[in-house]
Amino acid sequence: MVRMKKHRRDEWIHRAQTVLKEKFGHDQFRCGQQEIILDVLEGKDVFAMLPTGGGKSLCYQIPGYLLNGTVLIVSPLLSLMEDQVNALRSIGETNVRALNGLIHPHERSRVLAHLSELRFLFISPEMLRGSTIRAALAKITISLFVIDEAHCVSQWGHDFRPDYLHLAEIRTQFGHPPCLAVTATADERVREDIVRSLELHHVSQTLMSVDRANIALVVQRVATNDEKVDHLCHLLENTRLPGIIYCASRDWTERLADYVRRKLGLRVAYYHGGMDPVDRRKIQNQFLDSQLDLLCCTNAFGMGINKPDIRLIVHFHFPATMNAYLQEIGRASRDGKPGLAVVYYAKQDEQYPEGFIDGNFPDDEILHRSLSELDQGLLTIGNKEQFVSSLLERGVSESAARFIYEKVQNKPIHCTYLSIFDQCKAVINKRKAIQLQDLSVMRNYLTSTNCRRAFYLKVYHEHQPAQKPHNCCDRCGIEFSDFRQTESTNKNDTERHGQILDWKKRLQIIFKEGERADAPIRNKRV
Amino acid sequence: MYCDALVLYLIHQFRGDRTISGIYHLLKGKKSSQSVQDSYLFHVKPFFHSCDDLDRHSFQTLVERLNVCGWIQSAGSEQMHFILSTEGERQLTRFDLNKLIPDGLCNTDQVNDEGNFWLKLQLSVQTISALQYHQSAFLPITRQPSVTESVRKRIMKASLNRDQLASQLHHELHQLLLPIPLTEADLFAAQLTGFRMTGLTTSQIADSTGKDPYECRILFKSALRRIMKEVAEHKATYPFIAGLMKQTASTLSLTAGETFHLLKEGLSLQQVAKRRNLSVSTIEDHLVEITLKERNFNSSDFLSHELEQQIVETANQLNTRQLKSIKNQLHDEISYLQIRLALAKNTVQKGSLLIGENEETSKR
Ligand SMILES: [Zn+2]
Repeated sequence: MVRMKKHRRDEWIHRAQTVLKEKFGHDQFRCGQQEIILDVLEGKDVFAMLPTGGGKSLCYQIPGYLLNGTVLIVSPLLSLMEDQVNALRSIGETNVRALNGLIHPHERSRVLAHLSELRFLFISPEMLRGSTIRAALAKITISLFVIDEAHCVSQWGHDFRPDYLHLAEIRTQFGHPPCLAVTATADERVREDIVRSLELHHVSQTLMSVDRANIALVVQRVATNDEKVDHLCHLLENTRLPGIIYCASRDWTERLADYVRRKLGLRVAYYHGGMDPVDRRKIQNQFLDSQLDLLCCTNAFGMGINKPDIRLIVHFHFPATMNAYLQEIGRASRDGKPGLAVVYYAKQDEQYPEGFIDGNFPDDEILHRSLSELDQGLLTIGNKEQFVSSLLERGVSESAARFIYEKVQNKPIHCTYLSIFDQCKAVINKRKAIQLQDLSVMRNYLTSTNCRRAFYLKVYHEHQPAQKPHNCCDRCGIEFSDFRQTESTNKNDTERHGQILDWKKRLQIIFKEGERADAPIRNKRV
Repeated sequence: MYCDALVLYLIHQFRGDRTISGIYHLLKGKKSSQSVQDSYLFHVKPFFHSCDDLDRHSFQTLVERLNVCGWIQSAGSEQMHFILSTEGERQLTRFDLNKLIPDGLCNTDQVNDEGNFWLKLQLSVQTISALQYHQSAFLPITRQPSVTESVRKRIMKASLNRDQLASQLHHELHQLLLPIPLTEADLFAAQLTGFRMTGLTTSQIADSTGKDPYECRILFKSALRRIMKEVAEHKATYPFIAGLMKQTASTLSLTAGETFHLLKEGLSLQQVAKRRNLSVSTIEDHLVEITLKERNFNSSDFLSHELEQQIVETANQLNTRQLKSIKNQLHDEISYLQIRLALAKNTVQKGSLLIGENEETSKR
């Protein structure tokens, strides 16, 4: 019996490796992937924690080619979903679709009409609450129920999604297919929540280290902004790119981009949430296509970005949580080559994260006014977008508006809106306390006198690896020359054709066509 | 700088009758609101929706700078209402107004469709380029479902293979760009995205050409409007691109068009509001838009001839288009709606009646 089991496992390994090679062009699984995939193939419920950039998509992509039926992936972020669909399309997979709030009704009907032919279906948790869609999904064979960003199920997590709470029940409705819950970071509390809330009994857990050994960590203390900018310019001139510079405000992204372009002549752009959506997409695509050396951005950039050769991540201002920090530096060097992460720390920067935390929640006055207006009928809930946008017009921040929505939606029927004021306050205080606690961990990281890597591993209750990487951190000492650019890597002219401004030439390249004969000019045109 | 002249010109035209936000909304092309009407009222129609990607912050910075330079000043006691200072007037005269308003900008017939058309065109170009280079996946320039859906339909309908598609669209674009000024053509094409060649944003174009971003936006809009006009007039010459344009000729916004339809059926303003689940003031906005744009619309149900005369006379006497000032001068029964209708009707019919001095400035 045991031998037969072993035999079957060996066969799965063999088949998984074949798919890995033929479909994805890799020779070997990365650390942890093989165990997770085997557990999935054997029909177990699996909880997997893989660091950002650790290759978690592969854990459901490979089973998609070996199991009968459709792999259903619940994913909370539209940009992430889009990137995942794209990744599969680019390896030639045509049976992959997404259902989310941005889909045209026609596309939705097309998807629903061909559900059973799909190998992969990505879906947002909001969509899963619709009864038509659920009924259609209940009719097909779901080979694997994947819950991406599983930490969203936990109230302790940094982005709790109420819609995630229904996933266990929905899974039952689909005939209880095996479940794979994945996340990049979750501490013990969050992990317990995930397993309990998703009802993963006898779950097989694979927890990979949050550590990315190929990324060297540097904290640079500075006194003033001028000093910071000087340091940064020196760094950029001597370090391999492409790189990302995270800033705390929109204004800073624009100022830095402008300054660096003028001073160093690098191809640099800025990116933030206040930009026109098409411009945002253009900048993102330019960065992915290596038309840019450097991107100055707010934390609005990066979700769903899969560029394996980013060599430098700079935090011009430090983020509010260790979690966010690891996620952002985790975008460096996903190809496994050496990468560098530098965070600047000036005492006066502390205003930013504290401000963010306050901005995440409505203050007493706004909360009170919104609840009263709801009672008086001056404000109506409608759907989420309408509600949020009417609060935005009243000057409430977006995350504060979403918080209010989440609360008022669950108000008991028989009481007034104002009656939940105290309860809201209590939740705000609780969540704020968590966030302030996270912030103090981040601050301790920046001021720590010991190894940076040892510090964050301890935060995640992990043991230190037996051997430190060659370039570990500024405390352990690193060789900056290992990250120096060589002439051929930066400022490479062949990648510059995105900049072509001559319209005839540009059109020729876009359409892959030769020169066009100029037809006679219409003379009536003015 | 171009942007200085642009904002000085607009402040001059608005004469302190609106807050500075009025100008911002005009440039952004805010729909179904005061802005549409203002663009007629103050004779700045070409600028409506001319800088639709403008962000408020950068606009405010610009206005503050003009204020610091002493080129603009507060109009009376009202906050955020500005007029030009003497020095501002002088600055404006130094600028060639022909350069301020490129010819193409005045083709405003399709202004309601231009945003959508441009998205569809960019996405078509990107998609066809990706097909041509055998790129199986790409990140589309927009995810707006209505845009992706109609581009998809357009490409299917063409029933051409990838080479033919590329050749057709290339040919049409080439023909369209050839006769327009070179700067505009370059600016237009630089924003187009193809395989491994992502289009530039206006602010990037501004950086690499040394122009200011406002000028880039305006020159681009001029190019876009020339192209749309040409395509609308010669649909058969540009079959692929013509298929991306809205078919109806009306310049009414979609929502005002719907209101117009219901009014013609004989519904009252209140009934239309109720039926459409919109506020009466929104429907009133539509009514003003309809009065401005639909020549054969009869507004006598809402405004008698005598009343109209009275309002127009008062407006001329006071030399203002500020509704409040006009209303204060007249008796209380006259509603704001009636004043707006009267002003709207008279900008259309008697063009110069209300403008006088503005006309002269623009001829300078
Ligand atoms: Zn270390």
